[in-house]
Amino acid sequence: MKKSIFSTLALVSICAVMAILLALTNYFTAPIIKKNQDAAADAALLEVMPNGTGFEKMDTGSYTLPKTITEVYKAANGGYVFKLETAGYAPHFVIMCGVNADGTVSGAKCISSEETKGEEKTYGEKLAGKTIDDVLAVDTVSGTTMTTAAYKNAVKDALNAAIILGGGSVDIRTPEEILADNLTQALPAGEGQFTRLFIVEVIEGIDAVYTADNGAGSVYVMGEEFIGVPTGATSENETVAAAQAVLAASEVEKIDLTAYEGLPKRLKSASKTTTGNYILEVEGAGFGIMNTEEYIHSSGEYILVRVSITPEGKIIDTLTVYQAESENYGAACAKEEFYGQFDGKTEENYREIDAISGATYTTNGYLKAIENAFKAVKILKGGAEE
Amino acid sequence: MKKNGSLSVLLKGLLKENPVFVLILGTCPTLATTTNVTGAFGMGIAALAVLVCSNILISLLRKVIPDNVRIPCYIVVIAGFVTIVQMIVQAFLPGLYEMLGVYLPLITVNCIILGRAEMFAGKNNVGKSALDGIGMGLGFTLALVVMATIREVLGNASFAGIEIGFLQNYKIEFLVKAPGGLLVYGCLIALVYVITRGKAPLKKSFSCAGCPNAANCQTGTCEAPAETVAETPAANSEEGGAQ
Repeated sequence: MKKSIFSTLALVSICAVMAILLALTNYFTAPIIKKNQDAAADAALLEVMPNGTGFEKMDTGSYTLPKTITEVYKAANGGYVFKLETAGYAPHFVIMCGVNADGTVSGAKCISSEETKGEEKTYGEKLAGKTIDDVLAVDTVSGTTMTTAAYKNAVKDALNAAIILGGGSVDIRTPEEILADNLTQALPAGEGQFTRLFIVEVIEGIDAVYTADNGAGSVYVMGEEFIGVPTGATSENETVAAAQAVLAASEVEKIDLTAYEGLPKRLKSASKTTTGNYILEVEGAGFGIMNTEEYIHSSGEYILVRVSITPEGKIIDTLTVYQAESENYGAACAKEEFYGQFDGKTEENYREIDAISGATYTTNGYLKAIENAFKAVKILKGGAEE
Repeated sequence: MKKNGSLSVLLKGLLKENPVFVLILGTCPTLATTTNVTGAFGMGIAALAVLVCSNILISLLRKVIPDNVRIPCYIVVIAGFVTIVQMIVQAFLPGLYEMLGVYLPLITVNCIILGRAEMFAGKNNVGKSALDGIGMGLGFTLALVVMATIREVLGNASFAGIEIGFLQNYKIEFLVKAPGGLLVYGCLIALVYVITRGKAPLKKSFSCAGCPNAANCQTGTCEAPAETVAETPAANSEEGGAQ
């Protein structure tokens, strides 16, 4: 008992002595460490805002800022320095960007990245002095489009954020968010969950149709206009009402592919509407391993494209049903801004679309699928005439 | 060489009982911080400072520290000094602090320091313990710098951050990576063995009996009987249980 009390006392007193020594050291070193850290933090900020002083980290919890912004520092001169994390060719692309009180870029610098070409190290210099109106007009660098475009967009986010922090308002929603907001506004009963309808009939004046996942109704898009129509109702808008009638009357019948010869091998299925339009599902080669003359995805995956074509050979609608392309590159083929480009195209001009930046193989595979669809329509049409 | 001479206490850490190459202690920081000479030197000096301070304090307290709680006491002392060194390095050498990263606080669990506290400082007077700390610390620093020199010069074609022009096209980058570090480490252990053949401590000293925890686990399975570890005259004069 006596022994353990003595042991405890000895250990406690040694701890006490060490604690005193630590406290003493800390008393002398803590201010120096704090000064060093502040100087190091300011050095990074000064690089993008050379005339800035008295930087203070801001709590931006009460503002809705672009998602790329991770940290905000306010300078005494009214400017801001933003730390942004975006994704260019690879994720974790971190940029510091200073914005002067007058809304111009005081400087931008990439502080860490996994980009491949190294263009991000100097690209920020081209953006200095730009404003919200002309920053996107700066040329991207050929060969590193993804890196430099991401850089520009991140700097634009910073400029937007500076406006928001200054009390202004800017639309910082992504195209997807804008669409979702518009749809919900047109048909609140849809509760924000909509699916784009694959259109198989020619409907004049309508750009797209979205149906509510909960069956509440549909939203018809006419240019900037979004018209919501609850299930069972007929729209007062004549164009929409006409489209409703066409879609309601549409019937689809599956075509037996074995009855035809010479169809493209990659044609997976085909159907025909009563109005004579064809709905085809065609596989396209993706990115990956060179397999005879086409690239296929390294795991053997193909892109599955659904396309509806009029008997005259005009594309009504296109949809990427399935793809396994690389994230951040070819996967963009699943976005409407890519496949939407085919609407209204014919065999003559379907190649006149903007390729997916950084994904030439995916784009080419996609075009090949569309080419096969046109081929298939000709053969299916020929068969029907016999 | 006089067995009990102060000079021999100081010098044995450099080669004959080099903690890294002969006692095979502290291998983790050795592999991690030897990718460049600056970091290796900084690590060595930081460990030396902790080693000397903890050896002195533990030697001063060796009569007071009860045997049954001596390991916790040693750890408290060592961890305290490591934190002190860490704060000082962070305040005055922020560059080195960044470079060493987590390996600086990890000096706490560096076996060399606890090993010397247990094997030497706990059984010898203050002067000798300080010399032992300096010797072992210098031995550790020397080992790190030698290894870092090989790895940095051949692997990165630079020395302490200064580029070596004519080697630029002949970098063996493998050496800067972890497997390369193990390779260099192995070769150096072999080299030191060849140089010190016959003089290096007997296997026993870094076998079970040389273990800092030997006194606590003399359960019969241990290859060394209790007597070799306990207070023999030799152990009092120089290095408890080691020779």
